[in-house]
Amino acid sequence: MHEQSLFASVPVHQHHELLQQLAGLTAMQPRHCLERRLIFKAFRKPGLAGRTGASQDLQQGDLQRLNKMLNGNLYYTQVIGSVSEQDFGSTAQIDQDTQMAGTDNAERDGSPSSSYDYERQSWRLEFRDIPEAGTRSAVTSRFMSSAALPRGDVVQAMNAWGYNFVTEYVVEGDMFVHNGIAIFLHRVLHYPDGGDSNLPRQQLPALKDMTLLEKSGSYVLQAFIIVQDGSNQETMKTASQHLFGLREQLKPAVLLEQADRLSLDTRAK
Amino acid sequence: MADSFTLPLRHIHEKRERPDTLPVEIAQINSQWGSFRDVNEEVLRQKMAEEADKDGVSEEDESDEDATDLDSTERLEQLYKRRTEITEFAMKAHMETLFALDFVSLLLSKQLPRQAETSISPYLKQIAPLGSLHAEVVNPPPKPASAAKDISVVSRGWRIQNFKAAANKLLQAASRLETEVAAETRYWNEVLAIKDKGWGICRSPRNGRNLAVQYGFLESTPIFRDRGLAPLHRAQDGSLHLDEGVVPSKASYVRVRVIQDGRLVGYSKPTRSALDGGDTIESRIRQARDTLFEEELFHELVREARAIASFGVTTRENLIEVPGSDDLEILLDLVDADEVQPEDGITRQGTTLAQGIGHAIGILLAYAHRQNLRRRSQIPPPLTPKKPSIPEYQLIRPVLTYIKHISDVRWVQSLLKDLFGVLQSAKLNPPAYTTKSFSIGKQAPAAHLPAVEAFVGQFLAPFESTFSGKILTPRGSFSIAVRTSLSSPPFGTSFNVSFNSPMYPDFKSPGHVSQRQEVEAAITHLLLLDVVFAIASNEPAKPKDDRDAQANRAWDPIYPQHGELLLSPSSPNSFKRRKMKVALSRDELSVEVYKVHCIDGTGRGNREKRDTKSTPSTWSSSAASPDQPSLMEFVTTELSRS
Repeated sequence: MHEQSLFASVPVHQHHELLQQLAGLTAMQPRHCLERRLIFKAFRKPGLAGRTGASQDLQQGDLQRLNKMLNGNLYYTQVIGSVSEQDFGSTAQIDQDTQMAGTDNAERDGSPSSSYDYERQSWRLEFRDIPEAGTRSAVTSRFMSSAALPRGDVVQAMNAWGYNFVTEYVVEGDMFVHNGIAIFLHRVLHYPDGGDSNLPRQQLPALKDMTLLEKSGSYVLQAFIIVQDGSNQETMKTASQHLFGLREQLKPAVLLEQADRLSLDTRAK
Repeated sequence: MADSFTLPLRHIHEKRERPDTLPVEIAQINSQWGSFRDVNEEVLRQKMAEEADKDGVSEEDESDEDATDLDSTERLEQLYKRRTEITEFAMKAHMETLFALDFVSLLLSKQLPRQAETSISPYLKQIAPLGSLHAEVVNPPPKPASAAKDISVVSRGWRIQNFKAAANKLLQAASRLETEVAAETRYWNEVLAIKDKGWGICRSPRNGRNLAVQYGFLESTPIFRDRGLAPLHRAQDGSLHLDEGVVPSKASYVRVRVIQDGRLVGYSKPTRSALDGGDTIESRIRQARDTLFEEELFHELVREARAIASFGVTTRENLIEVPGSDDLEILLDLVDADEVQPEDGITRQGTTLAQGIGHAIGILLAYAHRQNLRRRSQIPPPLTPKKPSIPEYQLIRPVLTYIKHISDVRWVQSLLKDLFGVLQSAKLNPPAYTTKSFSIGKQAPAAHLPAVEAFVGQFLAPFESTFSGKILTPRGSFSIAVRTSLSSPPFGTSFNVSFNSPMYPDFKSPGHVSQRQEVEAAITHLLLLDVVFAIASNEPAKPKDDRDAQANRAWDPIYPQHGELLLSPSSPNSFKRRKMKVALSRDELSVEVYKVHCIDGTGRGNREKRDTKSTPSTWSSSAASPDQPSLMEFVTTELSRS
């Protein structure tokens, strides 16, 4: 799949007005989103790279492809989990170590509104390539992929697949949909206690304690459209036409433009 | 103070200080028409006649000319003549212009010889040397006082006239402005009134100078969504009126007609009488909204009807025929709201059904709109070359499901009522059964859904009704689950009949059946077995001591599935046995007693003779008489008779 997108920066004083404008344009109410985003970095497993010998059973083409896979670029990926506002600042500290598996349910049923359960958090894996270089089009186009992950602790599974947990942050924003385009007006929040832990948090702090990444509190407006088959020029063109149409419509409010390619580099160095 | 400030714009007529107006006018008439002395009625009449004659003659002349000038050669001649005349005139004018030019040039040649030379004719240049003519301004002689006075009077008159014209123009402009302001005020007041009633007002997307009112539904199919916006025009007097091109001119609605046994028994009335609100702009908008909704509803109904043609739904140009059940047929069509409906043969029940269906399909369309919004608000699926098709809304299917389901439930109810009625007439006293109608299929309660959507969503799920009850056999029970679904296979109604009969473990529940006859057969069979068991287990109320042997005898259910019971003979060496045959149907329960000669009682034909001593007995719920002996009494008497 390919993702085509346009970006704009929205100062905080314009945020409310833009929300209303977007609600009018898309004829829908904004859908408030809060997402935990975990960053994972791929690592090369020792012993796998540079495989030599015992390859008689492999065809030349397969071998090349395998080598390319094993020795190609490594990427950062994101694991995204949707959370709700009630999940933040849960005061009921459940001691995960001492809690028995059987009592877990009863505890949860007792105070469902105030506790965030890391074990039941659903996740999805989102991969984004570095945006394509040298495209004539004025949109940011990049290869992407998305997959659902099992609930609960993903770190183990990710480690097994060759990814290390790096850090995490929270994205808050509002989602609109217009003419097949998802419009996401969001900003990044950091955890107050810094990111020194090497594991995802089991508990979330209160939302008001979260610190803004961008101190002024400005938002990012991202309009994106996902194309199933990136090699189909026709649909790619349709998608960018849709984006340009939106850019024209939003011109009086914000200026959507292509993002700097290298700032969206996801390759691990 | 500013309010009271008025500025007179018109010239104020001052009293004329000239008493000599009349003498002047008399003098004028005298010089024009001669002395008054000659004027009398005759002269005036003559004058009038002359004037009339003059007008008539000239007109006649013209017409005569037209008539006589038909000759083409003459016309041609005249044409040539006229042309030469015109050329002559032109030549003359040209000559005179040239003379004037020469004259002016010669005059100018004194002052500007170089310039004048260019425009002077060569002939004049030859005969008159340049600069030979000179002009000088001479002081005109002073005008006489009367002339000066005349000029001043005339110029004063001109001024007054101009002032008057200007004042008129200003006053006209003021009054026009006033009406404009009134019109604008009225326009904006009406716009605000509409806005206050909750209608959305926006700038017309097609013409940015106009306002438009949004009355359509944003989640409709695009063709109907785009029609939901009509420009508001301003009439001359400032009143609002909707753009006639967009707004449907007539109120129409989807009429639901219910046909029972080929006769019209009910129809739905327009939900809101759109025209009763008078001809106000608000009622026009409301009517437009309603009609648009009804048109969209019919559009979607036709779309769905085509998709569910397999259920027997047929569509014609402007009519959808939905066959219900039990000779019930539903007709849907789009008609004008003021169409006259026939009144004969209409029943209250039919009208209620038609109205109910009319409301239901409207609610279901609104529900579909909400679902559209929900779908639209999700993150869109990846773009593919293939356009995703919009599934047909569920409008007819829930209604049809309901009709089919209620018909099947009623049938089961009547079946059970008949059968239990028959049993009760035989005084068997079967236990009561319970009915649980319309228990909606189990659904996970979706907490995030609004109550309304969750409520309507139930009607899209399959309907299920359950009948369950106990039978005479201890620990025996039956249950019939009626399930109707048209939105997901298996389509139609299926009955799930299950028994629990500990006396006959071989007797298996039929499980899922789809035919009513099968259900009837299964239930009748179960109850027959039940009756046979009841007879077999019947103990005479007070067995007497001396008839111990007889008391121990009992009817033996030998072939219960055929409803046959056998009574062993009273004396061991007798081959004659008596057989009782029980038959149960929906209408009656009949018991006959036969004499059989073979030992196992299978005898048919010759070996089986009707027992002449006992009369066959029949119980039916319709012809139940209180003095008829009950089944058990019958059985006991038969037992004692042998």
